[in-house]
Amino acid sequence: MAARGSNRTRLLWISLLVTSLFLITLDLRGVSIITSIRSGVQSVLTPFQKAGSSVFSPLGNLFDDITNLGRTQSKIDALKEENEQLKSQLILNENIVGELEQLKGVLDLAGQAKFKVVPARVITRGGTATFGETIVIDKGTSAGIKRDMTVIATSGLVGVVKSTTTNSSVILLMSDPSFRVGVRVAGTQDMGVLSGGGDNRFTIQMLSATGQIKVGDVLLSRGSSGDRPFVPGVPVGKVSFVESSAGQLTKQGRVEGFVDLDGLGVVSVVLNAVAGDPGEALVPRAPKPAPTVTVFVTPEPTPSE
Amino acid sequence: MTINRVPGIVAVFSLMFLLQEALINHVPFIIGGFSLYLAFFIVWVMQEERGSAVASGFIAGFIADLSPTLEAPFGLWSFVFTVVAYLVANNVRSALDSDLSPVTISLVAVFGSATALVMFLISGAILGQEVGSANYVLKELFGNSLWTLLLSPIYAPISIKLYRATLTARNR
Repeated sequence: MAARGSNRTRLLWISLLVTSLFLITLDLRGVSIITSIRSGVQSVLTPFQKAGSSVFSPLGNLFDDITNLGRTQSKIDALKEENEQLKSQLILNENIVGELEQLKGVLDLAGQAKFKVVPARVITRGGTATFGETIVIDKGTSAGIKRDMTVIATSGLVGVVKSTTTNSSVILLMSDPSFRVGVRVAGTQDMGVLSGGGDNRFTIQMLSATGQIKVGDVLLSRGSSGDRPFVPGVPVGKVSFVESSAGQLTKQGRVEGFVDLDGLGVVSVVLNAVAGDPGEALVPRAPKPAPTVTVFVTPEPTPSE
Repeated sequence: MTINRVPGIVAVFSLMFLLQEALINHVPFIIGGFSLYLAFFIVWVMQEERGSAVASGFIAGFIADLSPTLEAPFGLWSFVFTVVAYLVANNVRSALDSDLSPVTISLVAVFGSATALVMFLISGAILGQEVGSANYVLKELFGNSLWTLLLSPIYAPISIKLYRATLTARNR
């Protein structure tokens, strides 16, 4: 009797495994019903994600402050001076000001390049602990967003639109391991391919044996045919390390992204690049050093002398 | 497993999926991330018998596959959850007493979640998915295990209570 039950369990198990493999095969063959199901689920989830975003946004900032404790020490010190009554209000205000700053920054960048953009708020991140890097924004096809459009933030490239619904879109972040973008080195115009590695550090592989990179080189997106998935000239990152190995055919290196992908509040989706390739107009300028003030002190003779 | 339990299981896992997508994903965990859904599922199948465990595994995996932010092919989580459900029900359930201690539940949840993630990673890689750097993978695995362990006093009792609530009179 027990053996019969065990056999039935095995049969059920094998049937379900075969069903799973069948579903995988359907998806890999591009059956559209699978994509439609996920889009439908996204439409259902969007109101809940928006609600979750409004609840968790101040809390998220709190966690962000904890993780960046060293860097925000001065900010924390300033906050300590505020009285207890104002603290909760201050956290809310900071959230709004932070988003406004990000929005201003991203619109400045888009305006400089004459990109036609749609600003959007990040309402949630993709599934954590599933080895994928995605975010969901609160704008979709109703705002003109389509699949494979470039997404930018204050200081550069964020990712690309992966899927859309009427009121939301899923963005594949450039840190996702499957992310690839063609880049060129500002100045030399040497070309390479930048890949995501899971965190905020990326790898670059130059396309030709003569292509050179050095630490500090700024990388810009190379652009795609019809500006999708990538518009040209968007700052992507800065070379932080160059591998030097005799056996390599082309140069490789590591890159630090310009955008903090963990702290995204507002992003913009580029609908089109009105003025074409902005060239190197968007390369971040190094901050001008503050003028050094030198004070010469001439010793005055004391009255006793 | 009686067919009467299926709507209850679907409802519970749909609720957990909603919680994961709408709330848990917003929390910026300091190291890696936390999959409440996965941890909840492992605790759930620890209580199931083999037959019902694999069915619950498939249902939970199918719901996880619905995630619009998922980069993996549809059906991969169904496959992984079904295999993990069988492994947990077959080995843990038969090897341990019927009354599992809280420590055992937490540790099985940690190892079960880690096993599911590694299986997801390997199956994904076989199907051509990009895996990411070793640092990233280890950080995610370690982070998820840590949070699964630390938060087990919260989700494990909920999972046990909800499991009992879905049992029919005959199952009890």
